[in-house]
Amino acid sequence: MASSAGISLKLSPLSTSFKQNQVPGICNVNSVRFPSLGMQPGSMRLRVSCAAKPETLEKVCGIVRKQLALPEDSSVNGESKFAALGADSLDTVEIVMGLEEEFGISVEEDSAQHIATVQDAADLIEKLVEQKSA
Amino acid sequence: MNIRCFQRNFSAAFPPLVPLQLPSPMETHLWYILPDEVKNSALLNQYSELLSPCERESVSRMRGDQLKKRALLARALVRTTIARYQTNCQMNPRSLRFRKNLYGKPEVEWRNEDNFNPPPLHFNISHTSAMIACGVTVNVPIGIDIEEKQRRTKNNIIAFAQRYFSPYEVKVLTAISDPEVQRQEFIKLWTLKEAYVKALGKGFSAVPFKTFTIRFRDTTMRNFHPPESSVSEESDIVVESSEDPTDPANNWRCALLEVAGSHYGAICMEKDRIAGENAPPKLTVWKTVPFVEDVCVSGTDAVLVLGGIIEQ
Repeated sequence: MASSAGISLKLSPLSTSFKQNQVPGICNVNSVRFPSLGMQPGSMRLRVSCAAKPETLEKVCGIVRKQLALPEDSSVNGESKFAALGADSLDTVEIVMGLEEEFGISVEEDSAQHIATVQDAADLIEKLVEQKSA
Repeated sequence: MNIRCFQRNFSAAFPPLVPLQLPSPMETHLWYILPDEVKNSALLNQYSELLSPCERESVSRMRGDQLKKRALLARALVRTTIARYQTNCQMNPRSLRFRKNLYGKPEVEWRNEDNFNPPPLHFNISHTSAMIACGVTVNVPIGIDIEEKQRRTKNNIIAFAQRYFSPYEVKVLTAISDPEVQRQEFIKLWTLKEAYVKALGKGFSAVPFKTFTIRFRDTTMRNFHPPESSVSEESDIVVESSEDPTDPANNWRCALLEVAGSHYGAICMEKDRIAGENAPPKLTVWKTVPFVEDVCVSGTDAVLVLGGIIEQ
């Protein structure tokens, strides 16, 4: 879990500061540009601006583990690639469906196609959840 | 030095692959490996030597020995399969190069050199934990998908179908009262839809599953085991696009097989206008352990045509 912890440590100060500034819709920074802001979200990598909460990541890991029937002790973290875990396309679609149900979101085929790692899935969920409540 | 074409000296350890003619237009060749039959570690090492460094790295990133072996065999199958086909000379499976098209579909990258006409060869692979398959055609794109007959979904089948399949397909599945038959028909439908999308080669988002319907021409889906002849006349498989219902996507032919008694396999290929639409497409199937044994299994119990007009 070291690498994913590393990612969260790096990112949480950013998300905290966004929240403090009460900048609305900041998790949508991928699609909306705020050139007038001091911080330039557009120049950041997509994933940095939409860090999934650790609980989200954990839930995703759980759903993936269950779908792929991975043993409890197998390491699944943000960096895990679905393909490397042995997920075929039917598994991936089932995982997406499981995530939709768990988080009450709807994932378009467009977005689903670009999910390669568990972190990608968690980040996408975070974004969709934010969009839903915005 | 022409490193692409070796006569026989690329590796003393490998017996040469038995050379083959390319499939004719409207013909599919299907090659499959059963990973459980490949246990010899020396052989697996030999396969490993065929891979590019990039492929070897991908294999090493797979989690666990079974997945590593599967990934290795998949690459070895693709390379050895393509290398079999006689073009100007015997091809070295190790020197084949691959790339992905704009949408991520793998294809051979033929090198542009003098005196070398790239064969108009198309391929597509699919794998489960128990089988790896590679389909080959000429002139027209191909998509294949295999799935274990016993595959179970974690989600409820109708809920899954409602989410991802077309309304007609949901209706067909819902009408099946026996849960086991329903599950089987679901898996068959899944493989057919996958094969179609893979044949199109434009990625899954370009052709979402909901936007097309797989229809067996006789209105109910059922197993159809042909008697003596291996031409299944009754159930043609048609793809209809919801975007344009007037054009029933007649460009694509699908066939559904039962392979090795354990898997459903779907093949989808574009019709070759030049070859003529009336001749039923032909299928030849081999079970292989590359460099060790190739067995032609067409017309045996290992290959049963369940749907689609195709001749073995």
